[in-house]
Amino acid sequence: MLNAKTRYKLIPYAFLGIPVTIYFIWIIGPMLYSFYLSFTKWDGLTAPEFIGTKNYQMLFQDEVFYISLFNNLEWIILFMTIPIALGLTLAMVLNRDIPGAKTFKASFFLPMVLSLVVCGLVWSWLYSPHSGLINEVLRRIGLGALATGWLSNPKVVMEAVITVAIWRQVGYVMVLYLAGLQSVDQNLLDAAEVDGASALQRFFNVLMPQLAPVTVIVIVISIIDSLRAFDLVSVMTRGGPYNQSSVLANFMYIEAFNNYRMGYGAAIAVIIFIISLLFIMFYLTRIAREETNA
Amino acid sequence: MKNKIVISVLAALFVLGMAPLFAGGQQEGAAEGGQAAEQDVVVYNSYWSDPEPKRVEAELMEMFKEQNPGVKLIHSTVAHEDFKQAIRAYLTSSAPPDVLTWFAGNRARFFIDKGLIMDISDVWEEAGWNESYSKGFRAMSSVDDKQYFLPGNWYWWAVYYDTRVFDEYDIEIPKTWDELMAVCEKLKSNGVTPFTVGTKYRWTAAAWFDYLNMRVNGPEFHINLMLGKESYDDPRVLKVFNDYWGPMIDKGYFVESPASYAWAEAIPFMTNGDAAMYLMGDFIRDSYPKEDLEYLDFFRFPIIDPSVPVGEDAPTDGYFIPKNSQNPEMAKKLLKFFGSKEVQEYVAKELGRLVTNNKVDTSVYNENQLKGREIVNAADYVAQFYDRDTTPEMADKGMNGFMEFWQNTDQAEKILEKLEKSRQQLFEE
Amino acid sequence: MPKRNNVPLAVKIVLYLFLVAVTLIWLVPIFIAIITSMRTNADIMSHGFLAMPKTIDLKSYFEAWQRGGLHKYLPNSFIITMPSLVLTLLLSSLGAYSLARFKFKGRTFFYFLFVGGTMLPFQILLLPVFKLSDALGIYDTYFALIAIHTAFQLGFCTFVLRNYMMTVPVQVMESARIDGCTELGIWGKIMLPLTLPAFAAIATLEFTWIFNDYIWPLVLIRSSEKMPVTTGLATLQGQYVQDWTVIISGALLATIPTLIVFIFLQRYFIAGLTLGSNK
Repeated sequence: MLNAKTRYKLIPYAFLGIPVTIYFIWIIGPMLYSFYLSFTKWDGLTAPEFIGTKNYQMLFQDEVFYISLFNNLEWIILFMTIPIALGLTLAMVLNRDIPGAKTFKASFFLPMVLSLVVCGLVWSWLYSPHSGLINEVLRRIGLGALATGWLSNPKVVMEAVITVAIWRQVGYVMVLYLAGLQSVDQNLLDAAEVDGASALQRFFNVLMPQLAPVTVIVIVISIIDSLRAFDLVSVMTRGGPYNQSSVLANFMYIEAFNNYRMGYGAAIAVIIFIISLLFIMFYLTRIAREETNA
Repeated sequence: MKNKIVISVLAALFVLGMAPLFAGGQQEGAAEGGQAAEQDVVVYNSYWSDPEPKRVEAELMEMFKEQNPGVKLIHSTVAHEDFKQAIRAYLTSSAPPDVLTWFAGNRARFFIDKGLIMDISDVWEEAGWNESYSKGFRAMSSVDDKQYFLPGNWYWWAVYYDTRVFDEYDIEIPKTWDELMAVCEKLKSNGVTPFTVGTKYRWTAAAWFDYLNMRVNGPEFHINLMLGKESYDDPRVLKVFNDYWGPMIDKGYFVESPASYAWAEAIPFMTNGDAAMYLMGDFIRDSYPKEDLEYLDFFRFPIIDPSVPVGEDAPTDGYFIPKNSQNPEMAKKLLKFFGSKEVQEYVAKELGRLVTNNKVDTSVYNENQLKGREIVNAADYVAQFYDRDTTPEMADKGMNGFMEFWQNTDQAEKILEKLEKSRQQLFEE
Repeated sequence: MPKRNNVPLAVKIVLYLFLVAVTLIWLVPIFIAIITSMRTNADIMSHGFLAMPKTIDLKSYFEAWQRGGLHKYLPNSFIITMPSLVLTLLLSSLGAYSLARFKFKGRTFFYFLFVGGTMLPFQILLLPVFKLSDALGIYDTYFALIAIHTAFQLGFCTFVLRNYMMTVPVQVMESARIDGCTELGIWGKIMLPLTLPAFAAIATLEFTWIFNDYIWPLVLIRSSEKMPVTTGLATLQGQYVQDWTVIISGALLATIPTLIVFIFLQRYFIAGLTLGSNK
């Protein structure tokens, strides 16, 4: 028999046992395999052929890679600002006892549950240059000059797609903040008010620090979602016209599954992974510091 | 207290959640047990997800079941685009479907060369297809004189037009390039856009490239370009862009912002009289509004250089059996069924497509089918289509190039240089 | 939140109306989806996508149910989603408990592992996981999908739950430990109830994600009789012809379960079953 102390030491590993095993078999293993694949040429049918760093060399010369990278950055920036601002505002407004709060919450959450295919379709119609609602409205209100083929004009196509993503994301962020607001200590806010803190001060100095855990989650999710952004692009433009709305995940998917260049696709995936890690590093290092301090 | 309730709800959810899994598992076990007892299972996956072909195929499946009461047929339809991705999993899995739909020509050849497709020369022999299928179709299905593929049906491409518009402006059907340009000019001056096109999914633009390149440079050059044996920066290719395609776009012979529309979304321009023509395959008929269908007619893409042989696009779809098929006997039975005169006649009649078996009496064809068939029969060379004739990766780059050109008609040289770089990379690999 | 009476009523009304207007604009795409679902394909082809319908009927909903195969795809979706959801939540709460409550060698490593895995674009796992499932003999079974969904969502759930559990005061558990409660008991009797709001929130999200997943069944499932509703509905998209009205009606019908889950669970994470009240 193990003594009680050793047993106690083993407990955390016992808890981790099953989840980690499953995670290793289904995620980490295939992930490492993908890293290996990024150094091969593989059509998914015959055995992969090792070609060294050639995929990466090609990738860094590929114009589409840079377009996609730039688009992803734009996506991240827009995703970390607009949905968070709108979602938080909505959460704070709807957290009060206003008539119909439930209906409002449901309305903003609704886009989130709607399938991406339908979102993509409906928005494509809204964006249609000839009879689309957006151009119709622009023409009616005398801004006809702004009317364009939103999904075919290379200058605006990316923003048009990101708008749809934001439309879906706001409700999601709102829900997370609504949950976060539940644990906010009302007494602190009231105390600050009594002390004569302005609304802005209360917001930044009292409320936001308390919401920090939620904000971290929201930011992490926003980054992950932006870098993994795929479905909407795939449904609405497939990266077109001529790759102008391509994002990395979509670029990878097309190369790997449409063009059957699995090795090249794996190389793109590795790059996405590395970029994600860079973005998330600030968070992870904070955790690591906490760990060592603790 | 409240927590207890929540926990019981969660526990109930857990049980509810897991129950179907085990029920499902058992059912599955039972089904597999059943399968083992009754040997004759055949699994067939197809990409006929368009409404009309899907209906016809469902009827065919019923026919097959009636004729083979002892056979258990498992038929799955997979969305056309998804199928193209799933097929790699199918072909390399240890239990693939027994019969699959696929494209004739290069796309089938690719898998055959990898040894993933079953040799079905015996089926060709037994079913008498060596006689009842034309040499062209036989060659299309063979590698080293062994047959691996069964061509099923095909359709033609042509310039479709609305007869009302042509009548209104008293327009004759153009046979040459100059005539076509005159027609376009006339339509344009009357406020009608000559061509509608929806290039959101790019292949509609590829059709224009196929036809212009074949008419200007001949099918032989075209197909060598597809196979990576000619270069994209060849001055002959540049000529297609700068002398033919570009001017048409610049003169406004196509609708505005075509990349905003899927191909079918561009049809309303034709039915409401804003545009007159559409370079399209015969499947346009399935999407054309019923009340306007009687005004839809077509003509052969006009000749540009009479000294050049005539090439046409006529994509052929068919079937093959994966090498790992669990039940080759039944798979072959199903294949024979698909290739039979009876089934082919049914498809020709119900679907309006053209079929491959020579034994099929031409009387099953309607006027349209006969006219389309005539166009293809008169051709010196029949191509499959841009994205079927060249490799998938080159098709992707090429079609992006076409889209870029559509937006920047003065950039042909630069775009073609880029394509040439891709060609070298992809074909040398 | 309590009374703030320093804002004039008129301003309140204006702001309220503004909120109503924004909400209505927000819902426009959904209204369009609903209206389109009640049109016919022929009507769409001849009058375009954004025309008002000539006739309204619910036929396409029946079509989606019957011809679109929703009656068989929808149950499949549940057979896949429910076990995946339950397993993910269960396993990730075990892992998260360990990561949040104990100090041990490799703790940071395991935590990074879970977070790192969520960064990976999952599409790249498609073929390796297909090979794995084929080798394990679960290709073309529900298990293949449940396994990958469970595994893939573990990372995110562990991440969220661990963060949440960190906020639970240690004293609560210490006292239980002194009372002689086993670790498993603490996890089940104390940690789980305390983390319910987080559970409710991620359960909603996870349900949405797993239920709406479209790509995994493509590579892991061969026969349409096992397809979930998303992949099943996609088979209405032809190469050339799309069955728009049926696709949209089907997709709207398929949204209902997610909506119900949201409405049901939102009570929990917004009703105040939170840490604050337990402090």
